[in-house]
Amino acid sequence: MSGSLLLQSVILGLLLGGLYALLAAGLTLYFGVMRVVMIAHSAFLILAAYLAWWFQRETGLDPLLSLVVTVPLFFVVGFVMQRLLLARLRPATLTMMSVLLTFAIALTIEGLLGYVFSGTQRRIQLDYSGSSLEVFGANIAVVKLIAFGLAAVALLGLWALMKLTRFGQALRATIQHPEAARLLGINTDRIAGFGFGLGLATAAIGGTALSLDSTIYPSLHWHWIGPLMAIIVIGGLGSIPGAAIAAMLLGVSQSLLQVPLGTTWAQTVFYIALFATLMVRPQGFFGGRLAQRF
Amino acid sequence: MIGNRKTRRGALAATACLALATSLGACGLDSGGSSEGNDDEIVIGVSLPLTGDFSEPGKGVQRGYEAWASYVNDNGGLLGKQVRLEILDDQSSADRVASDYEKLINQEKVDLIFGPFSTRLVVPAAQVAKDYGFLFVEPAGAAEEVFTQGFDNLFYAAPAIADDHYNLLAEEIIAMPEAERPKTAAYATMDDPFAQGTAYGLKDKLEAAGIRTVADEVYPPNTTDFSSIAAKIADTEADIVVGGTQYQDAVNLIVALQQLNFQPKMAAFSTAPTNPEFPEAIGAKTEGILSPTGYTPDATYPENQTFVEYYTEMHGGPPAEDEANAWTTGEVVAAAVEASDCADPSPECQQQLIDHLREATVDTVVGPLSWDAEGRPESAHLIQQYVDGKIRIVLPKDQAEADFVAVKPAW
Repeated sequence: MSGSLLLQSVILGLLLGGLYALLAAGLTLYFGVMRVVMIAHSAFLILAAYLAWWFQRETGLDPLLSLVVTVPLFFVVGFVMQRLLLARLRPATLTMMSVLLTFAIALTIEGLLGYVFSGTQRRIQLDYSGSSLEVFGANIAVVKLIAFGLAAVALLGLWALMKLTRFGQALRATIQHPEAARLLGINTDRIAGFGFGLGLATAAIGGTALSLDSTIYPSLHWHWIGPLMAIIVIGGLGSIPGAAIAAMLLGVSQSLLQVPLGTTWAQTVFYIALFATLMVRPQGFFGGRLAQRF
Repeated sequence: MIGNRKTRRGALAATACLALATSLGACGLDSGGSSEGNDDEIVIGVSLPLTGDFSEPGKGVQRGYEAWASYVNDNGGLLGKQVRLEILDDQSSADRVASDYEKLINQEKVDLIFGPFSTRLVVPAAQVAKDYGFLFVEPAGAAEEVFTQGFDNLFYAAPAIADDHYNLLAEEIIAMPEAERPKTAAYATMDDPFAQGTAYGLKDKLEAAGIRTVADEVYPPNTTDFSSIAAKIADTEADIVVGGTQYQDAVNLIVALQQLNFQPKMAAFSTAPTNPEFPEAIGAKTEGILSPTGYTPDATYPENQTFVEYYTEMHGGPPAEDEANAWTTGEVVAAAVEASDCADPSPECQQQLIDHLREATVDTVVGPLSWDAEGRPESAHLIQQYVDGKIRIVLPKDQAEADFVAVKPAW
């Protein structure tokens, strides 16, 4: 492996890891807030990607501007979905039944996307889609840098929201101990709804970031949900920093392993890491304390 | 696998009958209005995937068959008789397609049969046709496994099997003067018999001519991130990059190569560049990209001009490859029927048709076709290239719409 290929692979891995972190953030949040396994998260990512593509095609404006609409829209959809659907599941079987319910939602979104936009594979055409910056002989694609920037801003924003605001405190209290949170006067039902909306809002940002540099089609979400689930388990269910660290590590490992092993085997890094985690430290490597209770 | 399928077919067909008889009147229990005993027409039986996974291409093939039948009937019919198509829907199921052809041959007593769409359905259908001694010309099923099952009745009605798609490009490269010829080649192929076959066909020929393989990347069909593959290819600084691709993989790989500012002298990708969506996805950076194509309405064969004119008038737009291959199937069978002067289900007539095609060269919309003993067509795909912003035929020279560009402009 030449030095320049090594550097290039590390850079690509970091950029990929950043995207993974953003895409996985919502998924771990749902589990943290509600013990919900949200299979439809990646379907919402693809939905946001389609909305960005459609927005760009209809208006000719930069797809990033679609965030102005999709982020609030997804927040509301998430809130409504939690209040009207997921909150009705019996707490005793919530985790299992949420898999079925959100699986159905994923299929519905996929079907509707196919119906409205057809199965044709789409890609946003940008003037800067092939542009890159050269740094020490390695090339950094502008679109990947933008996606990484979106991920960084969104995750920092999420962190600030969780740590620095009263809403964040209430949300964390709900995650850590719902009964105690209720005793302190927190309306945990409503907070859970907001938490779910927040998770889906990250899907809007993640989907838009994804759409900048990939070809999209309705069934694409099935390719994403597996690796994303692996990331949140390795990171520790419910822990956003854990998911982010796991995503970066797995992104870089995948990118580096690709050089000697090829694409097919490099993809298995997620599942090997998942098996190893479940054997050695089932509660996940970071965060952890929450998942231990399950 | 095939043997297993064959033994299970009877049981499956029977089960399917029980399941479907009530709702669909399937299995010939009430197939009134069958074609038997009518000497004024030639009935051709077809089973197509009109619903399910292959419904899009399946409907394309249906349009092609129907356009061909209508054209033949407008021009005096076949052997002076009108042609009627009997089309069943196999729902893209390999078990269903076999029972469909059993039904067409046994109950509908069709005179001739045409093949269905795609390798997965062609193989079981061809087995039924072989059992009954029927000629089996098929419009889609280019993978090698179609030709290694011992079918002596099968002919693929397209210019070339997957491995031969790049033949004209290989010849062109090998014929270049030593100094201009690319020295190194990088390959990226999807782990899929068809897509991989195209690139490896070219790889074998270029390696034999001394062009060194510096990268050979195989990726699973679900791959969406191509940046690492692109990084490996870019690191080799290969003169020519070849993709055994379908659609999204080619687009993502090309953009990833552009992002790394990798500038090969030549870039060839199968399937994707001929897709109308491709220039929309890649933008202005398509210039010089090469692709083999089994069919283009722009080809100047006289049969093709007639076809495009007739089809466009009928459907308001030019035909695509599926329609063309279906029409080609019709032309091939018609050529055999006219030469043998028979079109009936008797084993003697069907054998005559088969024997004729074994030796014949048929002029079709995709050029003159002839076949080897296993039914592989012995022609080659046209090579198209983006020249001045539009995809044009560049090889072979007698069909060319533009000159072959040996060193592609930067992308």
